[in-house]
Amino acid sequence: MTGADTSHQQWLVQIDAELDGELSLVERAALAKHLATCAHCAGARASHLEVRVALARSAGNPHAFVVPRPSIRAGTLALWVVLALAAGLLGGWFADRRWGGPGGGATLEESRGTIVVH
Amino acid sequence: MGLSSFTSVILALSALQGPGTRLTYRVRVIEPASVAPRILASGAVSGPLDSDMRLTLRTDTAEVEAFFQVAPTVGDTVSLTGEFYMRRLVGRSRRGLPLWEEDTYRRLVRLAWSDTARIYPFGTGKRGGPRALWVELILEREFAGGEARPEEAFDLVDSTRDFRLEAVVRPRRARVILNLVRGDTVSAPRPMDLTPGEPPRLVQLVLKGRATTLVVSLTRPDPARSARDRALALDADIVCLHVARPDVPLGTICGRLNNVARQLPLPTGDTLAATFAWPGWR
Repeated sequence: MTGADTSHQQWLVQIDAELDGELSLVERAALAKHLATCAHCAGARASHLEVRVALARSAGNPHAFVVPRPSIRAGTLALWVVLALAAGLLGGWFADRRWGGPGGGATLEESRGTIVVH
Repeated sequence: MGLSSFTSVILALSALQGPGTRLTYRVRVIEPASVAPRILASGAVSGPLDSDMRLTLRTDTAEVEAFFQVAPTVGDTVSLTGEFYMRRLVGRSRRGLPLWEEDTYRRLVRLAWSDTARIYPFGTGKRGGPRALWVELILEREFAGGEARPEEAFDLVDSTRDFRLEAVVRPRRARVILNLVRGDTVSAPRPMDLTPGEPPRLVQLVLKGRATTLVVSLTRPDPARSARDRALALDADIVCLHVARPDVPLGTICGRLNNVARQLPLPTGDTLAATFAWPGWR
């Protein structure tokens, strides 16, 4: 990797940090100065912004200032846990009735002796 | 029941229970094979018309004990009853011990004399397992000159198999030999032929010049407690001797007809020894 590439990678990291609001004023000024002279980095910044707009839209808030973080509510989580447990128990009970336990397989009458007259 | 059917039942009973008739259970144990069925064992049990048959088949994973009886029916047919007692290996416990399930059931068919009944002791094996072994049973009757002594014959072709065939006959009479015992002194033996259910009899035994009078009667034992013993009639040759003084009961001695002396302590300090045996054939 050349020195120019390394520098470019660092500017991409700076673009990400700027969009997340994590840069100081000095760093933002340096980045703006670089973007004015680097069309590639300016394009990358525009792409990053478009991705964030798409994420905000998919989260149902296209006018957000930052990308909303996904959140899992405790009630929803508990509901899914309960549903998974119930499905597991039901499947286990059905499998045990069908195939499980000693003596499974043939029905009792099939396993019993019979007498046939010829 | 109408008069005609009642008469026909009486006629059938008298024909079947008439003297000199011999019943034979002819048995073949057959295993299916790719070319032709293979006979694993064959045999026959014969005897008086009240003779029953006990058949035992054991494999590594199943045991079947079956008790067969015939009952008179109207016409040229006979009812065959099979009491089955079955144990199947169904798995192993968490400690590695075998788990068996037990099953008791009854099968009843009506067939003509000399018909062939095919018994599938492990089921018909419709699901393709190795259970399709069957037993062919043919019931025959013939007229014999005198008392028909029970007989059994069994030829085990494949000695790796565990099959057994037994004749089961309930004693009509029993030979009972009574002794009084005190210390090393024994009274003279008092043999008697007793019939279960007959009225009590008086018997006098003399020990050291002292006579002891007892009232004895023979009965059949109470029904067995376990389902297996009841189903297989394992108590068929057990009789019980009730012993009493003319005024007070003293006790009961039960045992098989196997010439083993069984003892009952008496209030006088003596011990009554009773030996049960099959009576001589008349």
